Amino acid sequence: MRGFFVRGVFLLGLSSLAKGEVDFVHEVMPVLRKHCTECHTGTKKKGGLSINTRAELLAGSEFGEVAISGKAKESLMIKLIHSKDDDEWMPPKGPRLEAREIEVLERWINEGLPWEEGITLGESSWEPPLKPRKVKLPPAHQGRDHPIDRILDAGMAQQKVTNPGLAPDAVFLRRATLDIVGLLPTPAELESFLKDSDVDKKAKAINRLLARDIAYADHWLTMWNDLLRNDYTGTGFITGGRKQITGWLYQSLRENKAYDQFVRELISPTAASEGFINGIKWRGDVNSSQTREIQFSQNISQVFLGINMKCASCHDSFIDRWKLEEAYNLAAIFSDKKLELHRCDKPTGKMATARWIFPELGNVDPKASKNERLKQLAALMTHEENGRFTRTLVNRYWERLMGRGIAHPVDALDSKPWNEDLLDYLAVRFAEDGYDLKKLVRFIMNSKAYQSRSVILEKELGEDYQYRGPIAKRMTAEQLLDTIWQVSGVSPDEAAGKVDRTIPDKKELMKTSIKPQPISAKWIWHQGKTGKKSQLRKTIKLTEVPVSARLIATCDNAFVMKVNGTKVASSRDWQKPVVADLTKALRKGDNLIEVDAEMFGGSAGFISEIIMTRGGKQVAVVSDGSWQARPPGGQWKSAAELHDHSTGPWGKILDPKQILAVSGGGNIPPVRAALVKNDFLMRSLGRPHRDQVVTSRPRDLTTLQAIDLANGDLMANHMQKGAQTFARKGEESGEMVDWIFRHAFSRAPLEGERTVLSSVIGDGRDAQSIEDLLWLVFMQPEYQIVR
Amino acid sequence: MMTPEEQRTRRDFVKKLSAASLAALGGSGARALADAAEVKHPEAKADSCILIWLAGGMAAPDTFDPKRYFPYEKGLEVDKILSTFPAIDTAVDNIKITKGMEKIAQVMDRGTLIRSAVQPDLGHILHSRHQYHWHTGYVPPLTVAAPHIGAWMGKVLGPKNPVIPPFINIGQRLEGVGEKEELKAFTTGGFFGSEFGPMNLPYPKDAVRSVQPPKGMEPGRFANRYKHFKKLIDQNPNREYMSDFQQESMLRSMESAHRLLQSEEKGAFDLTLEPKESVEKYDTGRFGQGCLLARRLVEEGARFVEVTTEYIPFVHFDTHENGHSTVDRLKKEIDAPIAQLIRDLEERGLLDRTLVVIASEFSRDMMIEGRPGSNAKDQSRARTDKLTEMKQYGLHRHFTGGTSVAMFGGGVKKGGLYGKTADERPLLAVENPVPVEDLHATIFTAMGISPKTAFDVEKRPFFATKDGHGKAVMDVFA
Repeated sequence: MRGFFVRGVFLLGLSSLAKGEVDFVHEVMPVLRKHCTECHTGTKKKGGLSINTRAELLAGSEFGEVAISGKAKESLMIKLIHSKDDDEWMPPKGPRLEAREIEVLERWINEGLPWEEGITLGESSWEPPLKPRKVKLPPAHQGRDHPIDRILDAGMAQQKVTNPGLAPDAVFLRRATLDIVGLLPTPAELESFLKDSDVDKKAKAINRLLARDIAYADHWLTMWNDLLRNDYTGTGFITGGRKQITGWLYQSLRENKAYDQFVRELISPTAASEGFINGIKWRGDVNSSQTREIQFSQNISQVFLGINMKCASCHDSFIDRWKLEEAYNLAAIFSDKKLELHRCDKPTGKMATARWIFPELGNVDPKASKNERLKQLAALMTHEENGRFTRTLVNRYWERLMGRGIAHPVDALDSKPWNEDLLDYLAVRFAEDGYDLKKLVRFIMNSKAYQSRSVILEKELGEDYQYRGPIAKRMTAEQLLDTIWQVSGVSPDEAAGKVDRTIPDKKELMKTSIKPQPISAKWIWHQGKTGKKSQLRKTIKLTEVPVSARLIATCDNAFVMKVNGTKVASSRDWQKPVVADLTKALRKGDNLIEVDAEMFGGSAGFISEIIMTRGGKQVAVVSDGSWQARPPGGQWKSAAELHDHSTGPWGKILDPKQILAVSGGGNIPPVRAALVKNDFLMRSLGRPHRDQVVTSRPRDLTTLQAIDLANGDLMANHMQKGAQTFARKGEESGEMVDWIFRHAFSRAPLEGERTVLSSVIGDGRDAQSIEDLLWLVFMQPEYQIVR
Repeated sequence: MMTPEEQRTRRDFVKKLSAASLAALGGSGARALADAAEVKHPEAKADSCILIWLAGGMAAPDTFDPKRYFPYEKGLEVDKILSTFPAIDTAVDNIKITKGMEKIAQVMDRGTLIRSAVQPDLGHILHSRHQYHWHTGYVPPLTVAAPHIGAWMGKVLGPKNPVIPPFINIGQRLEGVGEKEELKAFTTGGFFGSEFGPMNLPYPKDAVRSVQPPKGMEPGRFANRYKHFKKLIDQNPNREYMSDFQQESMLRSMESAHRLLQSEEKGAFDLTLEPKESVEKYDTGRFGQGCLLARRLVEEGARFVEVTTEYIPFVHFDTHENGHSTVDRLKKEIDAPIAQLIRDLEERGLLDRTLVVIASEFSRDMMIEGRPGSNAKDQSRARTDKLTEMKQYGLHRHFTGGTSVAMFGGGVKKGGLYGKTADERPLLAVENPVPVEDLHATIFTAMGISPKTAFDVEKRPFFATKDGHGKAVMDVFA
């Protein structure tokens, strides 16, 4: 019996395959468009029938049901198409349906009217505006007078929902720091922010963050690399069919180039920025919808205008107003030669004319040279009346900062925004502010809306989204790695993106940057009986703060060094000398250097060099008899010089070149993830391959990603390196737990949390335990989700 | 065997299981155009698929489709040569293949040989581009990232065993080899997102490391670390976030990952658990080990496994010179393990429900680059009219006009032969040409996936076979 049943199903499957199931998009829609949509879509409902959507079709007309699923012959639609009666046959005007077309409709009805989800036949009733629109601001609620709050509060009041309330200061600082520079606030930054009682402290913190131009560019480079599909490796590079714009892009972000100028330089480029419009050139034949000209048409539409020109570059779009001709005309602006329209990869015989898609704003001269046309296009794109251009950009930034676009998805500015006033207000304001991207970020972040608690979502957001507050974001692959490196004090050795990250006012000094010299320091201890411990100190007088100051030191067996009361270095393994950046620890005038040295047994000795530079000069402060020393509680006396560096039981333990490993102030900041080549870990975590323009990263952690995080070599290496730097510092374990926790989560651990972490880390001397601790901290959702 | 009803129920179950992963697609924008009820999937003939990928352009006349043969001889005019290997008999009367494939010849009665697969010429042969086409059904460049066929299977069918990743890719390094960026471009879940991307196992012997704690970490320490991870979650004061779906799905993924890493099934990844005599039957090198690994993974419930001889420009089947001697060596690597894989699957009763496909991105020819009339650049490195040295003896040009694909198990006819290439140059498919989209439709149909299955990307439908037009070659099925 079962065998029979199975065979029956099988045969059914076979017959439908042989005949072919009806294809709504390619078979049915063309018929409906040709004969029916003129009177029955959009706002037109002749005879009470609209066929914008399947639901509307099924709702029927004033004469009742029009299409009965599964019953073509009984359906009014088919009856009227066949009718011989002049008064009722359909369509009333134009050619009658061909037999082939009727057959398609009958088959479609008989197969249950399959209709691909999301397809609307008529233009939607909402037409996206082109021009900017000034918005009259509603009155402020409860003194919340930031324009964004006035608009959002009015909407929420209407819906009778309350605003989510402000996020705690620490949550704000963590979010703001990750959003502006892609890093975590340090425990010191957090502490001073929390202590600050200034009512404007948030605004000031935002300003401080925005002023960190290198960190800002390092972070926003990720988003713009995705958008402009710029990368250091990738498809097209092996054949010379692709060109980077990294140097130009980084510099533009760093100097906060006005966005209109930024786009003009991309559309009408110099050699440094031409990689974007030139797209990817493949060897061999490509589909006509993928030529460089069409890539140009698609990419500038998507990136700058939130228009999906991908459908229209193959045929007139089914889903929006864009037509094949418009896609090709736009492409023709870029084309070196005459461009023939191809419909679904077949030549049409029709030639494209260089034309821009919003003639309301003016047009390009098709007779002008290519460079001239591009210049004209750049001007039209950034035309002050092109509201589409500004709306698209502010929508992207809103999504970055607030978790979801006002129009969603961010590439579909055709879809109705959930708050038109907000989108339009921001767009106009952005233009009035001189297309200043940092000002836009500052403006959004100074709103109470941005500073609110993020909302808790119990499910994925749908089409019916309504604003309730900021939405938590997942760290990007780059943010995750950058912050892991930041907390654990490591960074990649080399950047793939060749960009200028030097600090301008120190450039001059860079030329004479630090040069390693042979170590002249001596091994020192207090005079007399060695004992287990020794205290060492020296005061150095500085007439000016050095541009850079670096330490290299070690002690047999352990030491802690403080400069002006702040701990700067420690070690518990004499074979692993410590290098550290002392630039920020030193000040003008007297500086007290204190060392607590400890010997576990055998030989005792401490050795250090501090190398300072200023004005191209290099000065070394070395451990020698000029230091003071005493056993704990004893008298301060001149330190005893035990040995020269290279003599004694320790050999040449200090390598002067090691000081180059730390930044030392005047140097280039540590390399960031956005500047290194994509690797397995980042790819797994959602950094795209950048063959295509990408405008959103995956929000959720997948199982395969979790496997990579749990056991992948790359992640394990990052944890190992981080653990080693901690182990070298030789801090007391409780201190280490607190510091890591505060840095990672911007809050102190609760007792229960501290207990868990303490049990993992033990006495804090085992690098493996630190590694495990780091892993379980970095893997916490609280860490990876930016709330 | 499950009834269709049971299968559907199972599919729903799997769907629920992967609800979190579906949610993951929010970001990448893929949404099923129609739910399972609306797409009429054919009844599945196979539950798992193994793709044996002979990367680099396997010359059909030197492997599965013997033609006029001349042994190497100085002064021989190359345009006379069609094959550089003589034909041998197989277990099927009307099928001959070439010398060096004796073991495969003996299992040809378990499958069907297609000799008329064809590929577009693309105007210039760039292997990775043709491979992209073969693996995704779409010719790059594209406006969206197309998913690999393994990703389609993972997406539409879900994992067969929820613990084993549904898409596993064996033998291809993605770092340190030429055209690596191009290889990565299709070795991906594409717009489905990384949940559906491959688990890459370039070295079969090291596969077990992918499911073990990181190097140097004792299993006890690994388990402990996760235990503490969960303890820390329990101590987290922000209880309200526990109902947040993003946090929930993150924790669920961590849990599934650790479930695999601590599961019994992970033994499937460990070749040292295989009896020695069995290993010997496969172990011709990385490829042979890969076949063995594929068998073990399918036994444990992998959905789609690809095993490759590996693509490296100008190496292995990418014979720009020394074609004959290279293929001679490769046959020694592939013949035993492929035949053994078929026999083992059969012996374990798995062959009926496992589709094994042996394919390559195109064929090769002694004379013609691309196809007749193509303007593709001749890339042979051993051009000559008459043979003067051994390195000129072989099929050194890329040929897209007719190539062989072998299919075993999974409801495929036993001892079947489909399609034909010409007896004289050009060796074009002269009967029943099968383009990539039809070949994919056939594979998908065997797996119970409609070739018209579509997902909505940026409001456009994206189909399992190009524009939903792939037609399954029903003649290859029993």
